[in-house]
Amino acid sequence: MHALHFALIVLSTLLSSYHGALQDKIEDGLVNSKVTRTVDLTNHLPKVTSQITLENTGKNSVRSFVFAVDPYLKDKLSFIGAQTKDGDEDSPLTVAETTVSTLKYMGKIFYRIDLPSQLAAGKSIDVTVETIYSHGLKAYPSHIKQSEKQFVQFSSNLYHYSPYKTTTQTTIVNCASSSIESYTKKKPVSTSDSTITYGPFETREPFQDDEMVVHFENNQPFLAVTEMTRLIEVSHWGNVAVEETIDIRHTGAILKGSFSRYDYQRSNDGVSSVKSFKTVLPASAKDVYYRDEIGNISTSNLREDDDAVEIDLRPRFPLFGGWKTHYVLGYNVPSYEYLFNQGDRFALKMRFVDHVFDDQVVDKLTVKVILPEGAKNIKVVAPFAVKEEPSQLEYTYLDTIGRPVIVLTKTNLVEQHVKDFEIHYTFQKMLLLQEPLLVVGAFYLLFTLVIIYVRLDFSITKDEASESKMRVAGLIEQVQASHDKRSALYQTYDDSINKFKSSKDSSTFVANRKKIDADYKKLTQQIGDMLTKLKAEGSDAADKVAELQKLDNLFKDQVNTAITYAEKLIQGKLAKQQYVDFESTTQTKKEDIYQKMEAVMATL
Amino acid sequence: MADTGSKTDIRNSLTKPAGWLSLVTFAVLSLACVAGFSSRLFAVIRFESIIHEFDPWFNYRATHHMVATNFYDFLNWFDERAWYPLGRIVGGTVYPGLMVTSGSIHYVLSLLNIPVHIRDICVFLAPMFSGLTALATYFFTKELWTPGAGLFAACFIAIVPGYISRSVAGSYDNEGIAIFALMFTYYLWIKAVKTGAIFWGALTALSYFYMVSAWGGYVFIINLIPLHVFVLLLMGRFSRRIYVAYNTFYILGTILSMQVPFVGFQPLKTSEHMAAAGVFALLHAYAFLQYVQGVLTKSEFRYFFLFAIVAAAGLVFLAVVGLTWAGVVAPWSGRFYSLWDTGYAKIHIPIIASVSEHQPTTWVSFFFDLHILICVFPAGVWFCIKNINDERVFIVLYAVSAVYFAGVMVRLMLTLTPCVCVLAAIAFSKTFEIYLKDDTTKSNVEEEKQEKNSQYYDKVQPGKKQRIREDRPKDAEGIGMNIKSIIIICLLMMLMLFAVHCTWVTSNAYSSPSIVLASYGNDGTRNILDDFREAYYWLRQNTDDKARVMSWWDYGYQIAGMGNRTTLVDNNTWNNSHIAMVGKAMSSNETAAYDIMRLLDVNYVLVIFGGVIGYSGDDINKFLWMVRIAEGEHPRDIKESDYFTPQGEFRVDSSGSKTLLNCLMYKLSYYRFGELQLDFRTPPGYDRTRGVEIGNKNIKLTHLEEAYTTEHWLVRIYRVKDLSNRIEATFSDTKAKKPKVKYSRKTSKKKRGSLKHKPKVVPGKKPTKKTKTKSKKN
Repeated sequence: MHALHFALIVLSTLLSSYHGALQDKIEDGLVNSKVTRTVDLTNHLPKVTSQITLENTGKNSVRSFVFAVDPYLKDKLSFIGAQTKDGDEDSPLTVAETTVSTLKYMGKIFYRIDLPSQLAAGKSIDVTVETIYSHGLKAYPSHIKQSEKQFVQFSSNLYHYSPYKTTTQTTIVNCASSSIESYTKKKPVSTSDSTITYGPFETREPFQDDEMVVHFENNQPFLAVTEMTRLIEVSHWGNVAVEETIDIRHTGAILKGSFSRYDYQRSNDGVSSVKSFKTVLPASAKDVYYRDEIGNISTSNLREDDDAVEIDLRPRFPLFGGWKTHYVLGYNVPSYEYLFNQGDRFALKMRFVDHVFDDQVVDKLTVKVILPEGAKNIKVVAPFAVKEEPSQLEYTYLDTIGRPVIVLTKTNLVEQHVKDFEIHYTFQKMLLLQEPLLVVGAFYLLFTLVIIYVRLDFSITKDEASESKMRVAGLIEQVQASHDKRSALYQTYDDSINKFKSSKDSSTFVANRKKIDADYKKLTQQIGDMLTKLKAEGSDAADKVAELQKLDNLFKDQVNTAITYAEKLIQGKLAKQQYVDFESTTQTKKEDIYQKMEAVMATL
Repeated sequence: MADTGSKTDIRNSLTKPAGWLSLVTFAVLSLACVAGFSSRLFAVIRFESIIHEFDPWFNYRATHHMVATNFYDFLNWFDERAWYPLGRIVGGTVYPGLMVTSGSIHYVLSLLNIPVHIRDICVFLAPMFSGLTALATYFFTKELWTPGAGLFAACFIAIVPGYISRSVAGSYDNEGIAIFALMFTYYLWIKAVKTGAIFWGALTALSYFYMVSAWGGYVFIINLIPLHVFVLLLMGRFSRRIYVAYNTFYILGTILSMQVPFVGFQPLKTSEHMAAAGVFALLHAYAFLQYVQGVLTKSEFRYFFLFAIVAAAGLVFLAVVGLTWAGVVAPWSGRFYSLWDTGYAKIHIPIIASVSEHQPTTWVSFFFDLHILICVFPAGVWFCIKNINDERVFIVLYAVSAVYFAGVMVRLMLTLTPCVCVLAAIAFSKTFEIYLKDDTTKSNVEEEKQEKNSQYYDKVQPGKKQRIREDRPKDAEGIGMNIKSIIIICLLMMLMLFAVHCTWVTSNAYSSPSIVLASYGNDGTRNILDDFREAYYWLRQNTDDKARVMSWWDYGYQIAGMGNRTTLVDNNTWNNSHIAMVGKAMSSNETAAYDIMRLLDVNYVLVIFGGVIGYSGDDINKFLWMVRIAEGEHPRDIKESDYFTPQGEFRVDSSGSKTLLNCLMYKLSYYRFGELQLDFRTPPGYDRTRGVEIGNKNIKLTHLEEAYTTEHWLVRIYRVKDLSNRIEATFSDTKAKKPKVKYSRKTSKKKRGSLKHKPKVVPGKKPTKKTKTKSKKN
């Protein structure tokens, strides 16, 4: 497998280097001693397998030989591969397009097939060359009715088309069905069921040319993808999204006249029409969607196997000859299966084209690979010749400099082209954090702006009423704070009186009292100031604050009375019993006033 | 000290309930928006993100065109794919607000590199705007009544089916954004009336401009606001505020609305807008009189007043009549007449009457769409009348007019819905206010109560308690605690049932995309019938890009949107005679129809046929409208009575009228259906929609052939054949010509190529003419 892979890479690089790079000359000594050609016409892709026994009758040993493409099919060639038997195993051979400089070979297409080793003079080797031709079958008649069967015509060279002499050869044609309308009757020929066998023929000169035409029934689905875009979006967060946009067409005999749903439903005619086909996706594919411009195509079934996800795609309508449709199939695969890295160097290894349907043919394929933002040193390694278009830039979520998009195109692909290709690039992992940080930054900025907007006043005119209201609210808050402190001071008064009563230390008490008085005065003064301000604002709260001040005055009086009584008690001017009575009355009065003050505060 | 410190904290949190209040308001409003958005997503979740129905497909196509090109290209867009061969000047015949809105959202998102497909923006636009509508309704109700009522109204409008019916995800139609514009304009108008500020008046005009650019229903605003002003004048509530607000709004609004190409000079030229102009003049006359009143003495003024009033009224009236007569001002349009006389459309404009949403509303649909709100909203009106002020006059007028219009036309239910929500919210809010005002009820609805009495917000709890006790000793003691609780529970139950009903209706009645049908099997499996898209996609892929498709106008927008093919008529029913032409083709026999189709260059004919699956909205059921519309323009060729049995029935079975059984529509619908046996209990050709065996099973088509029929036969497309190379003899020819028939039959393949009996073609003379005259004779 690996060797084949290598061979294809070589092939691709050689093919890309256009004509003229390779030049061969025809070795006279080489002879096709035995050729068996099998023409497989069971589906819509003619496949010609030529088993060639190559003999070197010359004097020099040869390293390679030249394979000429059938002149009837030369512009339809889609794939060519060669292999030889190496013991029991098949070993692939390198195939490359070449030219032969002689003038008489102009207009012919040649491929050089390298042999595994030098073919010494007199030795021979068995080589199998496989060629696949897309659109190689012609519907004949080209237009059929719904109830009619589809007949196709295949024409090619009857003989092995070779620059060398061919000693003996046979051609076996396998048709799709046993109803063969006509075939070229070149003796010796025999038919059995769906097989036509020509030959063996005797020695033929190089480039022997004689047309063989086979006309037979073939109701296989003649589907062809006329255009396909395969979009691969790589995310380093662990996902590779694949989206295939496909234009598909039934390339068989064109439907003539009307399409009758009744006949289609009742008598199962329209045998060559395509109702549905299967697409095989990678086993890890998930979130599969199947839609077109006007929405989801609701007629599809998904089956998950162990090694693949098989999706049964049914177009919106059955495809008859000449009808076409268009759809988008997308899915996600985890990146760990396809993305490999060594430090900052990454390699994406994915199928260049994936399975669309069995015996597929893709006329034109565009592969677009969207790499993460910041990917550099991008290098494409393809298994066969592809055309690299100028790369583009793609902007999606939170992109700043754009993601590089690699665009590769290739025409005329068949199932044999389902191969992996690689894209190497370097990417700094730190760049992954760029987008989350961008979001964080944006939100940070937003919140900062909101904070600034809320805190600052941007109005160009002053709204006196609301300003005053706000000022009043602020003042009231200050009043409340001051008053709370003042109520705390009341408690301190009580505490110091009690202390004084127990310690009987007059000087400390006086000092204490002075301190508290100072604090108290300060607070009362503050509230007084605010009261004047409130009055200036003309607020209702001013009255309440004034009442509060009045009550506070009363309270202070009571406190003073309590202090006087206490001093009298210490000085012995007052009996204990008497003091207790006075004390309780002042206490109740104080409590009463305090209650009132609280009530006033509550209404503020 | 620690003790006092904690006390301060508590007090601070209690003295600042504004924080809690805004939190609750914010939470309720955002929940309303989220609920409104998500309850509209049934269709997206059940099916997919897809544009629904008919008109949205045009809007989507237009939006797509605008996004693909640019705004000016869109304004200059001549759509040659519609109304073949006339075409349609799209830029000048649409309200571009919808397209511009979603186009600018798309533009902003693409600037931010967010790749959202325009279809998704279109699909989710209506749900997004329903969230905005909830906000606009909140502010509107807040201005009218209290913030608490506003919250109720926001919640109601978010989920009420009457509005959801036009704003589910995928229903990408003008109404989706217009209701937001309507409510927002009304809010700004109320604000302008309240403040008398030019600022608010100008904002009203701007919002009105948005409404004009979005929906033809703007006429409702330009008549309701003048009516409001007029009634305020009659009530003697004229003030400088109203003067400033109305003048700012009218002048700016009119100038702005004329910037919309589709509207153009209509605000100056059509009768629909004359009320606004009249009130504008009246307001100035009134203001002038007031000024004069200040200058003149009382007795002088009385004479002057009488004279001035008579002169002004006469002048305005004469001016309007004169201008109408002179043709400067267009008379009322037919659509407008049909609002006053429900029978008008049926007689004069069958095309309007043929639309089901233009039918008068049944009383059931009032309950279906509004549930408990329709029962409660008169109470709201009553509360508003009891506590009347300038802005409440407005909501009362809105309610009265909207109720009338909703009764006339089903689709105008939409304009009634917001007003019902607002008034029901007021009623509920007021009721709750009365029955919840008891501090011992520690129910979870207490928060709602708090929101409702804003005057108590900045009061601390104890003070509030006292006040309530002082204020309402009589009322509160009149109703016992138990009764209060019972009433509250009943109301809550009703609100709960309302929510359940809304969800049910949304889910069952209003969440079908209608282009994708779903049927459920016995075991609950769901079958999707995707026939419409199957057919349209077939058209899109497998017909010529320039192919012209004839169908009834209902499907015009869908064919253009999904099939991307040229149509003859579509849902923009601007050309009645063209529609009548298509109707005539559908109701004529095949030969006559072929002539019409040749005239109109038709390549394909598309009919909807529901007989196989029992789909009731198919073309045979709409057929009588085609006949009526055709008869309106071609009374000599088409007669409705021909399509009925002598007993006056419309039947498709063997006793149906001969004309019906041989008309094109019948043939196209039932072609080869006579052979199809659906199950063993019914005979072949049994039509499931109408429940009868069809009358004409042996249908032969000569000028058309079946091009495509979808899986469930729902959509059938026929190809119109070219004129045949040879003259075909018709079956009714004389006996002598009969042998000819045999040989010139197209079906006899073996004779093809034979030159025997070659038709004599005279040079310079079209052989077609012969066919034509022959067919006419038949």
